Amino acid sequence: MRVMKILLARHIILALFLWAGTIVALAQNEPQQQPLMPGEKPKPTKYVAIEEQKQHLVFFQGFTLSVDAYGPVAYMVSDYGTFEAALRLNLKNTFFPIVEMGYGKCTKDDFNTKVTYKVNAPFMRVGIDFNMLKNKFQSNRLYLGARYGISTFKYDVAGPAMTDPIWGGSEAFNLKGINCTSHWAEVIFGVEVKIFKNFHMGWAVRYKREISSTKSDYSKPNCIPGYGYTTNSTCWGGTYSLIFDLNWGMKKSHKRGVNIELRDIPQAEENTNNQQEENGEGQQNGEEGHEEGEE
Amino acid sequence: MRLCGCKVWVCAWAAMALLAACYSNNCPLENTVTCNYAFFDSEGNAISYGDTITVTTLKPGYKTVYIYRKLGNLTVTKEERSEALIEQGYTETTMQQRRDTVLINQQYGASSIKVPMSYFNEEDTLVFAYKSISMRDTIKIRHSSFPHVELPECGTYRFHSLRGITATDAAIDHIEISNPTVNYDGGTNVKIYFNGVAE
Repeated sequence: MRVMKILLARHIILALFLWAGTIVALAQNEPQQQPLMPGEKPKPTKYVAIEEQKQHLVFFQGFTLSVDAYGPVAYMVSDYGTFEAALRLNLKNTFFPIVEMGYGKCTKDDFNTKVTYKVNAPFMRVGIDFNMLKNKFQSNRLYLGARYGISTFKYDVAGPAMTDPIWGGSEAFNLKGINCTSHWAEVIFGVEVKIFKNFHMGWAVRYKREISSTKSDYSKPNCIPGYGYTTNSTCWGGTYSLIFDLNWGMKKSHKRGVNIELRDIPQAEENTNNQQEENGEGQQNGEEGHEEGEE
Repeated sequence: MRLCGCKVWVCAWAAMALLAACYSNNCPLENTVTCNYAFFDSEGNAISYGDTITVTTLKPGYKTVYIYRKLGNLTVTKEERSEALIEQGYTETTMQQRRDTVLINQQYGASSIKVPMSYFNEEDTLVFAYKSISMRDTIKIRHSSFPHVELPECGTYRFHSLRGITATDAAIDHIEISNPTVNYDGGTNVKIYFNGVAE
């Protein structure tokens, strides 16, 4: 009953995060139309063809460093939690190869059977995310990803005294340091939203499947660091990431994101703009076209 | 927000629905740990043994039993003293008896039997008694035992690993270990080949 309540609470919290994150993501992308004062003409917006902008998306867009906020909270309210960080590469704002490293902790004490399970160990995941939004210039992202995870760990299992019903005798057991190496795969769906400048936040839902674990005569791992509970062959997980852009090795002109405005432009001014673009194309390619979208 | 397709949102909400699914576990349904003996004739054909078999295990030490007798009544044997029977006029005598236990009681026409193993002894001794012949067979099984936890919520089991087996030849032709791991999977662990050939 207690386990059911904990799981239900965990699911409700995660569902709220999902809902909140979705609303924020949608709100961030709605065009903000400011009301015009009487007699005021709409400001002309510089028109840049999408094909032209695509050329401005250079291959290397920098690194991001992220920290998971959900794992520590999960550890405080349940038996299992993780402390993890990730380093991600941004390629054309579309592909994001990623390495995640962390430390998983699980201390489970079953109320009914009095069996305790304990594991503390590091884990690592490698994989890639794919940004599914059509507009690759904006800072918000909706992504699908895949991971391969591995953890080598030792776990302890202890239990109450076992009594032989026929021959007699009784003995408790305390098995320490059972070696295990586990491999698993994950499919990820997530949202990432820009909060300010180089700081983003986002959540991700992870569907995990255990590939293999080292077998032991005594037990099988009940909880794998970085994976979760092995009660079933698959499990769900989640992360709530605090993401920081690191502009290592990235040229200033390659700041990610270019605002695309396809509003109506007055005919006369459009012609003027086109002429100016033709005259000063070289200069604009360098600076203006790469301005931060939301700035 | 422009998406590659609305299918993405359908997938997202389906994922949320799955998150609210019921909790389940993988505790084994068949969770009795027994050593499984299968019966064969001397040529290796599976048989149903056409005799009544009683399997007793030898346990170390002796125990005191109380025997109550009264003229015209059946004799009563108890492991604890009974004041009530004495008040009814029964006479009490005590005797020392082996602590042996019957594991299979007069099973007829069996093709296999399931026998528990000791948790903390290195060797179990089983005595097979037959109805049609006066001689008995003694089977000695050497094994090691260890605790096994499938999942903490499933509790603890005691698994065994068979190391060796010997048998006398009153009705048994020969005996062999087919699977040394004794757990709750239910496979055959020991094959007993009886004298004679099935018709």
